[in-house]
Amino acid sequence: MAYSDKVVEHYNHPRNVGSLDKKDPSVGTGLVGAPECGDVMKLQVKINPQTQVIEEAKFKTFGCGSAIASSSLATEWVKGKTVEEALSIKNTDIVRELSLPPVKIHCSVLAEDAIKAAINDWKSKQAAGVPAAEPTTAAAKQ
Amino acid sequence: MNVTQTAAGTSCWSCNAATGGGHFCAACGKIQPLPRDANYFQFFGLPRKLVIEGSALEAKFHQLSWKLHPDNFVRAAEAERQLSLERSSQLNDAYRVLRDPVACVEYLLGLEGMRKEGAAKQQAPPELLEEVFELNESLDELRGARQSADQVEINTLRPRLQEAQKNFEGKLREVDADLAGAARDWDAAVDRGTNGNASNAERGKLLARMNDILNRRSYIRNLVSSVEQELAE
Repeated sequence: MAYSDKVVEHYNHPRNVGSLDKKDPSVGTGLVGAPECGDVMKLQVKINPQTQVIEEAKFKTFGCGSAIASSSLATEWVKGKTVEEALSIKNTDIVRELSLPPVKIHCSVLAEDAIKAAINDWKSKQAAGVPAAEPTTAAAKQ
Repeated sequence: MNVTQTAAGTSCWSCNAATGGGHFCAACGKIQPLPRDANYFQFFGLPRKLVIEGSALEAKFHQLSWKLHPDNFVRAAEAERQLSLERSSQLNDAYRVLRDPVACVEYLLGLEGMRKEGAAKQQAPPELLEEVFELNESLDELRGARQSADQVEINTLRPRLQEAQKNFEGKLREVDADLAGAARDWDAAVDRGTNGNASNAERGKLLARMNDILNRRSYIRNLVSSVEQELAE
């Protein structure tokens, strides 16, 4: 089975690989995995609490090309979006963009789950009232 | 007449007597085609239970391989030789699965429609993911260190991975114990049920539980083998 050009492109040049500080209250971390292929995907977002805009997104995925491409694309898409907008991203959008074959659909599901998990993590941090770190307090003072 | 085309498992292709899906016709002794809904438990005349006594299974295997062996059919009609091949190969497949407790559970779940691709969303256990991620990172670092021939880095990573390997092997043993427990519970439910079947609600719950355990197991198993592979290099 051949990967689509877009998958290959993301695989060879993954966007936003890396990690953000897990302890930063403005950072949400989503860690998800698919047991059938052993993939594990970490997606992190840094969200401005005032504007609810995702200012930064990073990922690290151990898995097949489609899983890497799905999460790479997911970080690209969520950047600059509001939390609401990011939550409306569907795995089917990823499937369409990357032309994923049926056997790889679970990779896109994983990426959607990762976005949701990251945002939920951020939300629960906000609800718990974790004191904001340096950069966000600076923003709050404006 | 083409024997394999007979309405399987109902009546003998040769003498028309009822066969009940057995290997041979009780009336005329002719070898019978595999029923369409043939399964490994049935093949060995066993109920759909998971704790299978190894020595009894082995004895049955030897007995059947002797009876079904193609050597016994060298002078029989082509169709019967074909059936002997078919049943002998099914016998080997069935034995391989039934004598392996993990394969046996997997097979049962397949029969019960639990392992279909995409049928149920298979989620990795969250408590494992953190460790899995870290392990993958260490493996990645080890590969990187190897590529750049960074012996110092390799020497610090190896013991860390060996530690992780031990940890995951321990988890594999735990998961196997869980699976054995679930298998016993399944058998008990089958025994309590009518017609050798567990009640539907109980059945569903136990199948789901075993499915979860198997997912966890394959996840851990894959990790253990990739660590083994990396450390062996």
